[in-house]
Amino acid sequence: MYDTASRLEGQVSATDIKIAARDVQVFYGDNHAIKDVSVDIQDKTVTAFIGPSGCGKSTFLRCLNRMNDTIDIARIEGEILIDGEDIYDKRVDPVQLRAKVGMVFQKPNPFPKSIFDNVAYGPKIHGLSKTRADLDDIVERALRRAALWDEVKDRLTAPGTGLSGGQQQRLCIARAVATEPEVLLMDEPCSALDPIATGQVEELIDELRQDYSVVIVTHSMQQAARVSQKTAFFHLGSLVEYDTTDKIFTNPQDSRTESYITGRIG
Amino acid sequence: MPAFWIVLIVLGIAVAGFVLGRSRALNAVIGDRRDLHSLPNYYGWNAALKGVVPALGLLAIWLILQPMLIERAVTGLVSEQAIAEERDLGLVLADVRRVAAGLDAAVAQGLLSGDAARDLSTASDDIRATLATAGVALGSDVQPAVLAAAQRFRVLSGQAGLVMVALVLAISAGGTLYGLREVRPDFRARNVVEQGIRAILIGAACIAILTTVGIVLSLVFNTIEFFRLYPAADFFFSTTWSPSFGGGSELGILPLLWGTLYISLIALLVAVPIGLFAAVYLSEYATKRVRSVAKPAIEILAGIPTIVYGLFALLTVGPLLMKVFGDDGLGWMQAGTAVMTAGLVMGIMLIPFVSSLSDDIINAVPQALRDGSYGLGATQSETIRQVILPAALPGIVGAILLAASRAIGETMIVVLGAGAAARMELNPFEAMTTVTAKIVSQLTGDADFASPEALVAFALGMTLFVITLGLNVLALYIVRKYREQYE
Ligand SMILES: Nc1ncnc2c1ncn2[C@@H]1O[C@H](COP(=O)(O)OP(=O)(O)OP(=O)(O)O)[C@@H](O)[C@H]1O
Ligand SMILES: [Mg+2]
Repeated sequence: MYDTASRLEGQVSATDIKIAARDVQVFYGDNHAIKDVSVDIQDKTVTAFIGPSGCGKSTFLRCLNRMNDTIDIARIEGEILIDGEDIYDKRVDPVQLRAKVGMVFQKPNPFPKSIFDNVAYGPKIHGLSKTRADLDDIVERALRRAALWDEVKDRLTAPGTGLSGGQQQRLCIARAVATEPEVLLMDEPCSALDPIATGQVEELIDELRQDYSVVIVTHSMQQAARVSQKTAFFHLGSLVEYDTTDKIFTNPQDSRTESYITGRIG
Repeated sequence: MPAFWIVLIVLGIAVAGFVLGRSRALNAVIGDRRDLHSLPNYYGWNAALKGVVPALGLLAIWLILQPMLIERAVTGLVSEQAIAEERDLGLVLADVRRVAAGLDAAVAQGLLSGDAARDLSTASDDIRATLATAGVALGSDVQPAVLAAAQRFRVLSGQAGLVMVALVLAISAGGTLYGLREVRPDFRARNVVEQGIRAILIGAACIAILTTVGIVLSLVFNTIEFFRLYPAADFFFSTTWSPSFGGGSELGILPLLWGTLYISLIALLVAVPIGLFAAVYLSEYATKRVRSVAKPAIEILAGIPTIVYGLFALLTVGPLLMKVFGDDGLGWMQAGTAVMTAGLVMGIMLIPFVSSLSDDIINAVPQALRDGSYGLGATQSETIRQVILPAALPGIVGAILLAASRAIGETMIVVLGAGAAARMELNPFEAMTTVTAKIVSQLTGDADFASPEALVAFALGMTLFVITLGLNVLALYIVRKYREQYE
């Protein structure tokens, strides 16, 4: 596995690597949830994390924007560099880091505010808009990109918590996109979406790839194959295999990867 | 037989019913409990409940009604005397009860035999002396009519008591037997017990509700009585409060309401910011260790008796304020007892109400909302201001209104800290007083209970009740409104 990573490092030039993780360990109390994970995530690329439930995909994703700081019992070891800078360094402000590395959570968590205010939350905090019209634009654009605009344009002042589960999920995507992060971490963003909305979100992900790097956790092999260029397979807290998506799905090196994508373990 | 023993016997019957019911159920299916519709215990409970609930229900009703009915029966004996003496019939009846109780005590202590008690007469015996030895002191000599009524009272009570014991025990035993006879393998004991439990719960709820209704009714009747003696318009709109027990009082509620609201306002101005900030600190910033020490420490404040707060106001806060605002300082304050003194101390008392409730409410805001906000790059205080507090607002408003009703109903701190002068002033360093403090002083004076000066206490209490009720309704309304918006 470490070979894979170093081989990759040789292939791409250093500037292409957005996030570099080295020997990351995560403990929840005594539970060793992430074991020795080293991975390089490229810029302007969609990377998919796949693996059976409970294998630590969400946990690793949350390390990348220090969301695990909010969990008292979580302890993280190892090194994670974004743009060459150690994000767990004392001088790094996690608040600024999270503005740069946005996140869509596994469970939709709209704020108890209006739909508009939900999306405008990030831009307002970071002062991304000068005028009210600016803000309106940002909100509309974000909602359009998340394929939600047509459904909510007439009720922007209605509470976000009153939307359906799938709409809430897209609202959270719009909320994350509106902040213009450089890296977007998406934890099962389509788990509650119908095929049409899923298609629209996948289009969005593809579009975001032009400027950003996107990491997506998914339980759908088809989705991973459709949207990602790189795929990482996690199993029991370890990174089993990390390679181009084509390679993982056509010619996996590890037998565990093969059994998982063909549906024999899960 | 005292009610206590009756209850014990009924419970004993029920225990026996439980044991028998259980074993009968097991015998009915020869030990294979799978043939029973319900678990064996349910058959036991069925018999026990049928033995207890109707019997104790009858006992309760009987104990309430018996004195009323007997009193009505003896009224005829003393009504003429009451008219002759121009005394209130109720007071004469109270005498009758007292003499009857005295005779009971005398018989119980062996000073009189039961027959002697029945045959006493005012002509031949010094009843007052006899009863005094038995520990019941009477204000005057016993009138013949009163004695006759008291003797009749005793006879009736004795007979009714016997009938009651017999009936209650019969119903208890009958109920248990009926429950035992019902035991058959296909009898749905489980469902019947479920209904029995529901009946008990409903009974408990009814007692709570009826008590409330009773309290309100007694307030209402006395208030109406007051308004018959004193014009309502003067009560609600007069700005003078000067009761004089000789008559010619002015009983305007406005100065008292003003004092109440002024002191409560100051108390809330102290308690709400401090309590809320403390709650935010405890729930969002404090480490587990700090929280586990600090939260109980704040809650200790809620356990201090209000009289201690009153002393604190009188002995510490008042003099302290005098130093700064009194004649030696700014010269705004004449004495230690003032609106400010009481308000500050009451505010301290309310801090734990606001902080403890708000803390629970803030803690109940799901972690996912915090994560969502942090994930967008918000700082902790931005998250608190823009996500957590709005989400917790309905609950916090509820906590504040609860604190407000506490402030409005508080008495002891006001009596000791704010003085007794009913005034309408703006200066918070003047002594003023509140509705509750005046209720106390009106009822503890030696005014005739039927005079407007005493009855005004009920009108004041009623007004206070309506205000706090209004506050609670408002709190409910606000909570509902926000809940609709957010969930
Ligand atoms: N907040 C937490 N506290 C304690 N243990 C946790 C916490 N979150 C996750 N874990 C543990 O860490 C391990 C990995 O969990 P994680 O949520 O990362 O799995 P996952 O791969 O995202 O699974 P899924 O596909 O079901 O979302 C699990 O064993 C889980 O019990
Ligand atoms: Mg997960």
